[in-house]
Amino acid sequence: MNMSLNEVRADMTAVVWKIVVAEGARVRAGDEVAVLESMKMEIPVEAHRDGTVTKVFVHEGSSIAEGDPIVEIS
Amino acid sequence: MKENGRDPDVNRVATVTGMTGALEDDDVRPGWGPEIDELVRRRRVALEMGGSEAVARQHAKGKWDVRQRLDAMFDPDSFHEVGSLAGTRAPGDVDWDGQLTPSNLVVGSGLVDGRRVVASGDDYSVRNGTSEQAAWRKLGHIEHYAVDMRMPVVRFVDMSGASLSAITDQGYTSIPDPGDWEWLGVLSEVPVATVACGPCPGLGAWRVGASHFSVQVDGIGNVFAAGPPIVRAGIGEVVTAQDLGGSAVHAGHSGVIDNRAVDEGDAVEQVRRFLSYLPSSVHGLPQRAETSDDPDRRDEQLLTLIPRDVRRGYRVQTLLDGVFDHGSVFQIGAGWGRSSVVGLARVDGYPVGYIANDPFRYGGGMDEFAAEKVTRHIDLCNAFHLPIVSLVDQPGTVIGSQAERRGTVRKGLRALAAVEQSTVPWFAVVIRRMFGLGGATQWPVRSSSVKVAWPSARWGSMPVEGGVDALMRRQLAAAEDPDSLRRTMELEFKALGSPLRTAEKFGIHDVIDPRDTRSALSRWVADAYGVLTPGPVRHGHRP
Repeated sequence: MNMSLNEVRADMTAVVWKIVVAEGARVRAGDEVAVLESMKMEIPVEAHRDGTVTKVFVHEGSSIAEGDPIVEIS
Repeated sequence: MKENGRDPDVNRVATVTGMTGALEDDDVRPGWGPEIDELVRRRRVALEMGGSEAVARQHAKGKWDVRQRLDAMFDPDSFHEVGSLAGTRAPGDVDWDGQLTPSNLVVGSGLVDGRRVVASGDDYSVRNGTSEQAAWRKLGHIEHYAVDMRMPVVRFVDMSGASLSAITDQGYTSIPDPGDWEWLGVLSEVPVATVACGPCPGLGAWRVGASHFSVQVDGIGNVFAAGPPIVRAGIGEVVTAQDLGGSAVHAGHSGVIDNRAVDEGDAVEQVRRFLSYLPSSVHGLPQRAETSDDPDRRDEQLLTLIPRDVRRGYRVQTLLDGVFDHGSVFQIGAGWGRSSVVGLARVDGYPVGYIANDPFRYGGGMDEFAAEKVTRHIDLCNAFHLPIVSLVDQPGTVIGSQAERRGTVRKGLRALAAVEQSTVPWFAVVIRRMFGLGGATQWPVRSSSVKVAWPSARWGSMPVEGGVDALMRRQLAAAEDPDSLRRTMELEFKALGSPLRTAEKFGIHDVIDPRDTRSALSRWVADAYGVLTPGPVRHGHRP
């Protein structure tokens, strides 16, 4: 598996509820970048590092599986 | 070579004996001085491990040597080694004071926080961790000793895998059974804690994984059935040792290992902490500790912890800190099976096991890993007579095709079986949700279990949200305004779902102010300790 260290990935099967950041946004580690919905709960997804959001891989409403990339932070 | 038709090994013993006799003739000291000198020399050789160069190589990898590990584990000057004379000679060396390479397993006993504990530790500096027969006998002996003398076992594992040269030296291939090492029986008798602090291939993975608590050191612990060269040859996968079996794999995903440690000191501290909650064997009871925390402390944060919006989560750590003694929460398996949160803690000084759920991971729903974690934890608590506190926010078994393909239902049933087979007292507080099979694994049905709820609790065979859509499909399809009908039905179901309605029928024993949870637990735990009975339990621990 080609895993980029810059990508924030889903660690569970879920639906993308909200995307909080846009491409080009500056984020700090721990900032919320998206909110997933799984088992009827909102699951915040946090940036794993400081940096700039260079790619958003998903849309609101996308179904994602464990390991799918959500955003790229470079 | 055979001499006089006898086995060469027998001849070697005869030669050694003969030379001892010759030495007595030359030495004029009284008594057994020369032999004592030789004993001292051999014990010194054992302390030198694989020699200064090999030990330096061990340190250069960022690893402690086996003696440093044992020093860190045991109270100062309390460790007493068994079998330091064991080792191997070079082929053909028959001198009575010949050169012995120490055994690469150091075993013995000592005090950990004042309590007797046995330990074994691999010495990777000897023949790069390749095992020999004495090591196996030492392991068998020391763990039998632990069982019979009722002492916890600690293992430091840092070894090589199977060796073709060992087969050549031995002259035959061995049946792969554990022989003298009673790996399974020990789990139903005494606490077993293990540290993966180097390669743990094959048998090493077995020795680490077959435990009540295991910890893997980041960067240096690698646990796998077979290492990268054999994986490459066998299935063509090219992978590094860390990617194959590092702590991120096993303590961060698979659950083969419970916890990860940032370094060896951290690993030793976690083992020490784990043992502090347990009796020395199943024949004793957990020991109450001193605490300055008020058993009736009311944590105001608990009143507002659960959001009214059912889609919003909360930090489970705040819940744990609010009900258990200050600083007493020791989480097991934080990095895997993360929707379930399990560990050990104290209530008014009394050790207990707890199970809870993390709403930020599948909403706390039970996936296959979480089910496995709960199963092992209940087995642990039951074997060592730890009463169980269940803090319930369980939306049910995780759903979807991935979950079905992974056999989540059967894993959940196994967890439920462990819960029902447990005989220790339970105290359950429904914090929020309790639905379906996952919900059923949160307490045993026996009626002495205490079952209370917070006002935020909801339960049933399935949640109202979504349930209306699924079960009332025909009525909704026929309605002029389906959204309005759905809202009406959901409000009706919500009113019926109040925990007070269930309490009216004594379906739940009480609905309590969240801030009173700790005082309720404190009253119960004293009763629970009054009835705990030492001894082996019917259903032993499954690794």
